[in-house]
Amino acid sequence: MDKAYRTIGKSILRTDAVDKVKGLAAFSADIDLSSPPLVLKVFRSGIPHAKIIKIHTEKALAIEGVLRVFTAKDIPGKNLLGIINKDQPLLAADKVRSAADAVALVAAETEEAALKALDAISVEYEKLPAVFSPEDAMAADAPLIHPKGNQLAARFVKKGDVEAIFQQCASVIERTYRTSMVEHNYLEPDAGIGYLDVDGTLVIYASTQNPHYDHKEIVTLLGVPDDKVRIIQATTGGGFGSKLDLNTQGFIGLALYHLKRAVRCVYTREEAYLATAKRHPLTIHMKTGADATGRLRALRAKIICDTGAYGSYGIAVMSRAAVHATGPYAFEAIDVESLCIYTNNPFCGAMRGFGTPQIAFAHESQIDLHAEDLKIDPLQIRLLNALRPGSETATGQVLTHSVGISQCIEAIRPYYESAISQWATAEHHPYKKRGIGVGAMWYGIGNTGVQNPSTARVEMDLSGAVTLYTGCADIGQGSTTILTQILAETLGLSPEQINVVAADTQFTTNAGATSASRQTYISGNAVKDAADKLSDVLRTEAVNKLRVSKKSLVFADGCVAVATNHEKCVDLASLAKRIHAKGAPLVWQGYFDPETVPLSPTDGQGIPYGTYAFACQMAQVVVDVLTGEITVERIVAAHDVGKAIHPENVKGQICGGTAMGIGFALMEEFKPGETKSMKDYVLPTSMDMPEVIPIIIESHEPSGPFGAKGVGEPALIPTAPAILNAISRALNQRIYTLPANLERVLDASIQSGHFAGRKK
Amino acid sequence: MKDFAYVRPKNLVEALSFLHEYGHDTKIIAGGTDVVVDLRAGVIKPEYLLDVSRLAELKGIQLRSDGLWVGAGVTLSEIFSSEVLECHAPALKKCAATFASKQIRNVATIGGNVAHCSPCADTIPPLVIHDADVVLASINGIRQLPLEHVVSGPYTCALPDQEIIMGFILKPAAVTHADFQKIGRRKALATARISMSYMARKDFRGKISFFRFSLGACTPTPRQWPMVEELLAGKVPTENLIWKAARLLSEKMIEITGRRSSTVYKEPAIQGLFVKMLYPMV
Amino acid sequence: MDQHRVTITFTLNGKSVTMDVPGAMNALTLIRERLKLKGTKEGCGIGECGACTILVEGRAVNACLMLAAQLDGRDVQTVEGLAHEEGLSLLQESFVKHHAVQCGFCTPGLLMSAKALLAENPCPDKAAIAQAISGNICRCTGYQQIFDSIRHATGAPTGEEKT
Repeated sequence: MDKAYRTIGKSILRTDAVDKVKGLAAFSADIDLSSPPLVLKVFRSGIPHAKIIKIHTEKALAIEGVLRVFTAKDIPGKNLLGIINKDQPLLAADKVRSAADAVALVAAETEEAALKALDAISVEYEKLPAVFSPEDAMAADAPLIHPKGNQLAARFVKKGDVEAIFQQCASVIERTYRTSMVEHNYLEPDAGIGYLDVDGTLVIYASTQNPHYDHKEIVTLLGVPDDKVRIIQATTGGGFGSKLDLNTQGFIGLALYHLKRAVRCVYTREEAYLATAKRHPLTIHMKTGADATGRLRALRAKIICDTGAYGSYGIAVMSRAAVHATGPYAFEAIDVESLCIYTNNPFCGAMRGFGTPQIAFAHESQIDLHAEDLKIDPLQIRLLNALRPGSETATGQVLTHSVGISQCIEAIRPYYESAISQWATAEHHPYKKRGIGVGAMWYGIGNTGVQNPSTARVEMDLSGAVTLYTGCADIGQGSTTILTQILAETLGLSPEQINVVAADTQFTTNAGATSASRQTYISGNAVKDAADKLSDVLRTEAVNKLRVSKKSLVFADGCVAVATNHEKCVDLASLAKRIHAKGAPLVWQGYFDPETVPLSPTDGQGIPYGTYAFACQMAQVVVDVLTGEITVERIVAAHDVGKAIHPENVKGQICGGTAMGIGFALMEEFKPGETKSMKDYVLPTSMDMPEVIPIIIESHEPSGPFGAKGVGEPALIPTAPAILNAISRALNQRIYTLPANLERVLDASIQSGHFAGRKK
Repeated sequence: MKDFAYVRPKNLVEALSFLHEYGHDTKIIAGGTDVVVDLRAGVIKPEYLLDVSRLAELKGIQLRSDGLWVGAGVTLSEIFSSEVLECHAPALKKCAATFASKQIRNVATIGGNVAHCSPCADTIPPLVIHDADVVLASINGIRQLPLEHVVSGPYTCALPDQEIIMGFILKPAAVTHADFQKIGRRKALATARISMSYMARKDFRGKISFFRFSLGACTPTPRQWPMVEELLAGKVPTENLIWKAARLLSEKMIEITGRRSSTVYKEPAIQGLFVKMLYPMV
Repeated sequence: MDQHRVTITFTLNGKSVTMDVPGAMNALTLIRERLKLKGTKEGCGIGECGACTILVEGRAVNACLMLAAQLDGRDVQTVEGLAHEEGLSLLQESFVKHHAVQCGFCTPGLLMSAKALLAENPCPDKAAIAQAISGNICRCTGYQQIFDSIRHATGAPTGEEKT
């Protein structure tokens, strides 16, 4: 099949790699303007919950080099941000809800002056009682963080009679799982720079995952016409979800609006830690029942998401966790309640997987517990229950195509069997225990049960040169390369022949967020749609010249040619000129929105996603029973991506996701108030990485571009469950709280009698 | 960072004269891997920064008549690649292998690691087992103090402002076993949750004829553990005996620190790490 | 003498540079803001990420932890010094070819650590590579394609060739 493709399925050179290895790619903090920009610094509350009585900025304004100190009253438009629910002011007006809340914004000539000004600002507060756990926030007498109450939202997914089925189950398992707050720790701290264009447009270069959303928010914040703000995504040093929120962009917009001078805002790592979104810590109560053969039948879950002071993507996390609670398995009956709760913690937002990594820890532990209970092999029980074409999901969606979970599990099997027969039994240190664990997952591509279209424009000029205009922000994952490949393939060009204009709101239309593993599938389809339209006019025109039917024409090396005889061809430039002369368009807009049906608010029934990615990973883990240290020796990761448009990119996502999964499993925990700098937050280094064996499974998705789905988030999801199941197998003692850090692993070792007992 | 003056003396005498006059307002910098972090955080606000990283008098690793000399300005990378240390202080060399990162090892010095007085400092347990003396210089001359007297509290160095650490004199030991072990939350760039070091000699009958041990990251200041050493001395190391010593060690640690929330982990982990470290002797 | 400013002379990517710097300026600020070489990045400011790795006397160091004044008399190399006029260095080419670059923010620092390693050990195995780059955090790649790139830059055979 691949042989038919010119570039799809080939690991071509990335469009951005050469600039990046030369150190020439300009990230927001690297961009130089003709004159030095003003420095922006944010004054933050430092206290978790209080009414603002008065903000004193006089002393700060008196400092030499300080131009302005902005507060909420300087915001000309609507001072309320949020992509799903609007609840977060850019600058706090009447109260602060977390220690990171921005209260004032300093603009100064120099960094030194700006920092001095921060020290000189003081705020009179009336302190309010604060709550730091969802349990406390849900108490009857809890202080109200937002006026409508501390429960932001709820999602229910219900189908069948769960209780009746539990009665019939041979194995019923009920446990509570907890996951930690996690910091994204993209390598580039948030930054942006802005200047006023000659025509008065506010131009902002920013480190962002969603320039069109930034645009909309800033226009509303400032109350200016759409064409007065232009957002351009600078080279962006990773995001993982946190750069979906407005981080520095709003501050830059506000200062530009008032001062009409170039400004720069660069967060230190400490500020990025303090002020940007985190991964939601979840508490998951889960009860599942299986029959004696291991077939899963009923699931009940209560999920509580701590969204901190603001919603951000909290509602998406809550919903996605609920919808994915079954894992990639078929159940007869489901009863899931998922709540999103405000607290005075740092706000939590999107992070790679939107609640799915958390819920996968629960469903994968449950299925292993059933396997242990019923003495079934962990791989076998997953295979038995795996979704397949024709299966109905928890939301009542019948899957028809591209359900590659069984293939993923089967792809793991040879590694799994040889690990059991050779690695696990090999001679090793008496105080080290070896364990093999499996984790599987499914992940709906795109946003949950809501429209989330993408658009793209493809333009051919009279020389036949093709330019792609896409709003899609490449944050390092490689989407620009992928979209270029899709376009090149459709028009029979080499990828390097395509010009790309990306993520600039003045020249590109909305492609939606770089999130939810959606850009290959959704923006890829939008690009393909535009390319197909252009392809159609080109081939139609070629019919006139070549005098054969349109369906016998193909694209080949910059020409349209007769499929059976490439010698008979016409070049794109001639076609372009002829089309143009007729007044027919050479510019085409593409559009794609996956077919979804909104979920019912009462029982969550509906069609949340157009397609799903699937994966199964295996972890080989060595536990030091004396110290609680874990060494992950190998991860085998099989991922069904539909079609790998760029296999090395897919592998890069799998290996990178695995690394993040190892962090989530074993070490990462953001502690508000304690975790301040990278000294306080441990994430995996090169020494913590095992051998990773990525396996690409391609179960063609008919609605995807060339059959592709997505991989960005799926890469991370099965890793922690696989590792935790491996630890459990090694120690015969399960850990229910992430991360499985030194303390928890050593405790498990002691509980299981391995510590002093030298059990073999 | 607060503004300060940068001074780089040409030699030790110049450095000492400067300290004599301005010591009170001066912070000494060598590799800078702790000092620059503290400057950035505003934890220290000196008027002067005295750069001793190029002083020849602070360099070198040599076996001398009075012991094994390790200059304060020796970097962790130099320690790691030293053949003299491989032979005479293998545990010190080993601690350099897992110290922070390559970039930090390339500039961080042993003198700086000790002077910072972090309870988690990786070089301290190996220095303690070698009964290291700190060689101190001021305009008034040179003196030697035991390491435990210099590191007087967490992040508190007992030295007067006019004095500088020139180096360390270690008692070299011919041993059959030596090790440094640490538990971190990851496998590189990790602060020690617990570290420990030992060296020992087994005689021809398999008995422990010499044993020195030190613990890091658990007590506020470095110390000797004579009870543990006495328990093992003269005995044939068995798994049971090592466990017994391990339990004694954790008891004594708790006597010093009291029970805290971290003790839940540290009590068994100290035992575990001790057993793991000494297991090769069995 | 006003010691708040120091005159330093050093070699930067092969060229001699003399300038006045504030005593309190770190090497990273000097390189980025004064010399306008923006390839060296600030990721944490405290030596915990390695994005600012440069070579001083051929050894990898964190520019954020070194004072600008400490560069006096030294040979300094930054990522901008890697490519030659004919094109990319072997190492850079290998990073591109083996897809070791995702967001690219850690890339310059990693290249510098890798360069120091290869100068010391021209044929490092995977363990040696992992050890040498353990001070360079990468959040995107999981390091695997970086290991591959560094191994391939040695010219050593490493099994199947990827395209």
